[in-house]
Amino acid sequence: MSEIHTIDASIAQAPSLLQIILNNRSLRDSTLLIVLAAIWIFFYFATGGTFLTQRNLVLLALQTAIVALAAISAVMLIITRNFDLSIGSAVALVGVVVAVLTVKFGMEPWLAAGLAIATGLLMGAWQGWWVTKMGVSSFIVTLSGMLYFRGISMIITNGATVAPLPAQLKSIATGFLPPAPSIALIAASFLLFLFVRARELRRGVALGVVRQFNAELVRAAAPAAAASMAAIWIASWQGVPYLIALVAVCAVAADTLMRRTSYGAQLYAIGGNPVAARLSGIKVERSIFINFLIAGLAYGITGVALTARVSGAIAGSAGLFLELDAIAAAIIGGTALNGGRGRIFGALVGALLMGSLNNGMSLMNVPTFYQDTARGAVLLLAVAIDQLSRRRGVRAQS
Amino acid sequence: MTASVGLQPRRMPERPPTAPLVEVTKLTKTFPGVLAVDQVDLTIAPGEIVALLGPNGAGKSTLIQILSGVHPAGSWTGEIRMNGQIFRPTSVADAERGGVAFLAQEVGVAPGLTVAENMTLNNEPSRWGFIDRPRQLAETRAALSAFDLDIDPTLEMGRLDLATQQLVLIVRALSKNAQLLILDEPTAALTEREAERLFNRMRALKALGVAIIFVSHRLAEVFAISDRIVVMRDGRIGGVFTTSETSRDAVVAEMVGSRLSRTTPEERANAGKVALATRDFNVFAVEGGRPLAVNIDLDLHQGEILGLFGLLGSGALEIAMALFGAWPGKTSGEIRLNGARFSPTDPSRAVAAGIGLIAQDRRDGLSSEHSIYDNTILAHLGALSNRFGFIDAMAARRLVQDLFDRLHIKAQSLDTIVGTLSGGNQQKVQVARWLAAGVKVLLLVDPTRGVDVGARAEIHRIWRELALSGSAILLVSSDAEELVDACDRVAVVRSGRIADTVGRADISEERLLRVAAGI
Repeated sequence: MSEIHTIDASIAQAPSLLQIILNNRSLRDSTLLIVLAAIWIFFYFATGGTFLTQRNLVLLALQTAIVALAAISAVMLIITRNFDLSIGSAVALVGVVVAVLTVKFGMEPWLAAGLAIATGLLMGAWQGWWVTKMGVSSFIVTLSGMLYFRGISMIITNGATVAPLPAQLKSIATGFLPPAPSIALIAASFLLFLFVRARELRRGVALGVVRQFNAELVRAAAPAAAASMAAIWIASWQGVPYLIALVAVCAVAADTLMRRTSYGAQLYAIGGNPVAARLSGIKVERSIFINFLIAGLAYGITGVALTARVSGAIAGSAGLFLELDAIAAAIIGGTALNGGRGRIFGALVGALLMGSLNNGMSLMNVPTFYQDTARGAVLLLAVAIDQLSRRRGVRAQS
Repeated sequence: MTASVGLQPRRMPERPPTAPLVEVTKLTKTFPGVLAVDQVDLTIAPGEIVALLGPNGAGKSTLIQILSGVHPAGSWTGEIRMNGQIFRPTSVADAERGGVAFLAQEVGVAPGLTVAENMTLNNEPSRWGFIDRPRQLAETRAALSAFDLDIDPTLEMGRLDLATQQLVLIVRALSKNAQLLILDEPTAALTEREAERLFNRMRALKALGVAIIFVSHRLAEVFAISDRIVVMRDGRIGGVFTTSETSRDAVVAEMVGSRLSRTTPEERANAGKVALATRDFNVFAVEGGRPLAVNIDLDLHQGEILGLFGLLGSGALEIAMALFGAWPGKTSGEIRLNGARFSPTDPSRAVAAGIGLIAQDRRDGLSSEHSIYDNTILAHLGALSNRFGFIDAMAARRLVQDLFDRLHIKAQSLDTIVGTLSGGNQQKVQVARWLAAGVKVLLLVDPTRGVDVGARAEIHRIWRELALSGSAILLVSSDAEELVDACDRVAVVRSGRIADTVGRADISEERLLRVAAGI
């Protein structure tokens, strides 16, 4: 016992570097970015500089895009304590719909894509109905969905690949917005963000709830400026891929929905404490049903994007394990498994982190089996660090 | 030596009988930014019952959590001696081995396990490494009957009500051969009769030489049971009183300090129009459909605080939940809100109609990992957002900041996590939520359970202000003292029926208890 006491005492007297990092709030919030930066620097040296070229970063973004789209939906569901194990299979089914409509029936590509997205919405509504009206846990509903969505895909296509897609559809996954308009768009987005935030802060000053206008504005603008600058540098090579622009639009829309609207506040409240949410007058079931509808929209968008990217529907393997990658990205990005906490952009960074490992190790010619092992280890480590920092961050007072 | 069966304490070491059991010197504990316990000295003799009082955030909980190993040795400074030996518990289990048993404020049970499994949790009797079920049941039955509790040990814990769960936990804490028993608000969820049973057991333990520290906010029971009263303020010990030689007024004065006096003369508005009325209102049990409340006729006026007094199981709680649309079972009869028929089928409808509810268990009302701001705006999201659903964050912050200041919520900022606040401040956040929503009818269920005297008086003052501004408040409680302090009229519920309604002039604890007991 006495040894334990002395060890405790020494920790209390001399906080380790780890503790300092974990106790510092602003550092803790950016732990994930620091980890990502460390991984990038490692790969930069390990690949002789190839990793951090514009060409490879665009490739990395494209490789991450599908998981990122799925992760956006995963975050929103996990925040309300729901799980979606079906997104991989649902995406495959949407892909089959779009491929069959265009390839077999020669339907107009955009109409087919619209119908495919409508199919995704229907699947989301179907699962939401089982969860909210029948009271079956989302884990079970989507586990079942994972099985029968894949099964239906196989039945429709008889297991055969449906390809090739019309060029118009392929272009959304392979095309680029040229550099000049890309850069203009990025700069415009940044300025719009700055304008909106400044207007809000000015209103805050007027209402007496914001004291330091400049400091607050800089705090919001600095990371946005850094991200915009990086994006402009990458875009100056070949422009922005349409697929990445799609991911960005979806992410901004989802983040705005979650953090700026009353619906988002309801979702966080439901995840934080469903009983309290209900007693505050929130229609919990209705909110969760809409939550699944949004997941359905994600099935549609992700399914069309994935099918376009591989230029055909492969019912057996399209989106395989996508649900797990999406959940992993969400969790690495700081989403709490027991609900109530999570950020869309965190999940994007999580997806990027997992994608970076794949991409970097591939560049280093590491065999696939080792890649999976490494990614598993990173997932475990990332979540452990997050847990540790949170436990130190929030300590109940008397 | 005597076989240690059931509730007998450990044999005392060979020391003079007057030697203290616990000696605490210069105990200090800080949390980031907060000095929770500040240079506390405290001595407790064997067989002594010490009541620990003080406002929220005074450091009571932290002090007892240190003694019981919740805050491990190394996280605090100073010295604790038990029987003259240095005592540095590294965990709750370690403290238990050292003879300190602790019962936390919030009931912590495994609701899916049986009473017997809960009682022997982590201490299961075993044969050849397997749990010895018959012995587990027998030991549980013996311990429960030693406490005069008639509970089937094979029942699932979750099927018992809060008070009974608490009693089981107390029995469990007592069965660990403790020399020092620490109870954090043990009676908060208990009825008078159950509390009396607990006190008898505490006196029996005292006779056996077990020392007891208990935190309470009910002065009556503090004076009934304790030998000494220790009042903490701002992390320090403000005053130590020998119970038999002091008065309530002296203790309250010490506790409240200069903040406010408890017996402020209150203005009372003349009751206005009927805000919420029920006629032949019935509430039925979820399972089996047994009636829990029958033929309830209530008239809640604007500007009035109407009490609904009922002991546990009387049906008072269920009436409030049903009025809010939060009762899962069936109801029948008529409810009128401002004269119009109203059928609350869901809490969202009640909130939309301007009714708010503060639930019995704070954990049901707050999202403890979210901030004060997040929790406060919950019931008012609709009005705070434009037609596209976008929240006007700055206006919302202004609103919350105003309520934060008005209710004197003690926290660093609006973004402080609610789970880190004291009970009284958590309760104020719930009040703030309904003030933000601008409800005109407020249903409160045991609203100051676990809230200290000072904060309680403050919260009562807030309700009075609300009533004066025209709100109608229904206060459901099993705490007669609170109803006497706060209400204009009190309807007493007994066995699901309103036994009597007591007007302002006649309200007294004695009167309420008599009606409730049917005397």
